[in-house]
Amino acid sequence: MTAISSASGQSAAGQARPVVPPVPRPDINRRRLARLGWTFSAPALVVIAAVTIFPIVYSVIMSFNNVSVTGSGFSLDGFTFSNYNLLLNSSLWRDALFFTVYYTLVTVIVELVLGTCIALVLERLVAGRGWMMALLLIPWSMITVINAELWAYIYNGTYGVADYILGGLGFHPVILGTPGPAIIGLMIADIWKTTPFVAIIVLAGLVMLPGDVYEAAEMDGASGWYTFWRITLPLLRPTIALAVMFRVLQAFGLFDLPYVMTGGGPGTSTQSLAILAYNALFKNLAFGPGAAVATTTALLVLLGCLASLRVFRVQVGQEGS
Amino acid sequence: MRNRKRVGWHKYINGVTIATLVTAIFVLLPLYWLVASSFKSPNDVGNSPPQLFPNPISGANYSNAFVGYDFGIYFRNSIIVTLCTTALVLVLGTLAGYALGRLPMRGKFTTLVVLLIISVFPAVAVLAPLYLLMREIGWLNSYQGLILPYTAFNLPFAIWILRNYMLGIPKEMEETGRIDGASPLRTVWTIILPQALPGVFTAGIFCFTACWTEFLMALTFNDANNYRTIPVGIAEFGGNFQVPYGTIFAASVVAVVPIGILVFIFRKFVISGLTSGAVKG
Repeated sequence: MTAISSASGQSAAGQARPVVPPVPRPDINRRRLARLGWTFSAPALVVIAAVTIFPIVYSVIMSFNNVSVTGSGFSLDGFTFSNYNLLLNSSLWRDALFFTVYYTLVTVIVELVLGTCIALVLERLVAGRGWMMALLLIPWSMITVINAELWAYIYNGTYGVADYILGGLGFHPVILGTPGPAIIGLMIADIWKTTPFVAIIVLAGLVMLPGDVYEAAEMDGASGWYTFWRITLPLLRPTIALAVMFRVLQAFGLFDLPYVMTGGGPGTSTQSLAILAYNALFKNLAFGPGAAVATTTALLVLLGCLASLRVFRVQVGQEGS
Repeated sequence: MRNRKRVGWHKYINGVTIATLVTAIFVLLPLYWLVASSFKSPNDVGNSPPQLFPNPISGANYSNAFVGYDFGIYFRNSIIVTLCTTALVLVLGTLAGYALGRLPMRGKFTTLVVLLIISVFPAVAVLAPLYLLMREIGWLNSYQGLILPYTAFNLPFAIWILRNYMLGIPKEMEETGRIDGASPLRTVWTIILPQALPGVFTAGIFCFTACWTEFLMALTFNDANNYRTIPVGIAEFGGNFQVPYGTIFAASVVAVVPIGILVFIFRKFVISGLTSGAVKG
């Protein structure tokens, strides 16, 4: 047919319309379009490479060097494993890793369960679903720093509401001053912000489920629970898997919420990997060890990506490109 | 069965409406607390027991945020950085999204997967080298020092979204352009772009939100008072001893309103972006 279709290798379909003259030299056309494609993508790809790929590589190099940073510049003083040695022998790194994983696990599971419940409710809601969706978008678009300040105020030991209510019930925990309650406090703030996001994704998945399956189940006299566990949940699995994967990968960058709300404390009980890296880099100016923390974190995310490459591939493959 | 017919009062009061109400309260209560506290007088913010309603209603926190503190500067900085980044991302993202969606390039698949991986990479992984680099070239505490990394970090998602929309445009559309002898750039501008407009809105609102809320890079690269963005400004309000919550919440309300309005107007596109697969939290 014309340039594009023959270029993308579908010229066989052109046989149906013999009136159209054949396009001369489709190879050259294809090559020209490919060159155009790279020209068009080049600016974006160059910017991305300059700010992400190059620094990541450089970060790895730094992590294997004694880096000395002074007021005017910095230098790499020779290859060494010492940064990683320091890391692996430090309880700070182990604690940060443990906290990050533990926090991720709990928040993602709670958000998933709560979000699915909310989605199931909203799917049955007859009137006002649009308003509820709009409402759910507010926490999603909230600045995390504000979320942290707000909950820190709610938990405040002298004038916080949560403290006041718990006090009325006879508890007097110093919420942000005790490791256990501080972690729970962070999780609640996270759950408030992110559950609506999960609910929206699951709801979208629910709405797209085929209706006839449910009719069949109903005719067979399946109970509501049975339908949910045996039909709804399995059909939703791809949606949920993708949401969970992104949430988990992102949680490894956890920084804003604990940094503002608890400063990583009390002690180092809420210090995430990103906070540890930030403090090492910019508070202690230990660029070698800081780079090592950043690199290991990036490596963990990369491993996570590779593990879920199948999900990614489904993404890329969709719509048959 | 999934939508049972309900009669009488069951039509209004049933499990679904009650659960919806609980959800709404769960979302709204902290928001109410934020807004209510911002309108309390600076002294009442620290009352124990806390006031449920601001009494008297006071605008002192708001004037304090702009006069006593430099919130006006932070707001301006956020606007500049966010708008410039969003514009850059949309221009570069549209071109790349068009190429990766519709042109026969070898290595397209790999490029897309790499982009997807980059879009979930934690910013902390690039912080140290970028900081040193920007210090070398004098870009710390500058607008371009944030615009460039923000552009790079938001482009992958934008390219993905735009590519997905471009895939759906019928081939005949761009063929008309080619027959007319229009240049490729012109074809994208006049024929492809209008068709992919929903994708542009989606990518734009996501980029805007991400820039408006970003904290880690802004804190690292732009910590001088004149170049702080809203999140950094709010996080560093006040001294070491007393946190001025009233001022913080007044500033927060002012910061949240624009993004809230935008998200409300473009909610259709936000939801389509959230559910398009390439999801950002």
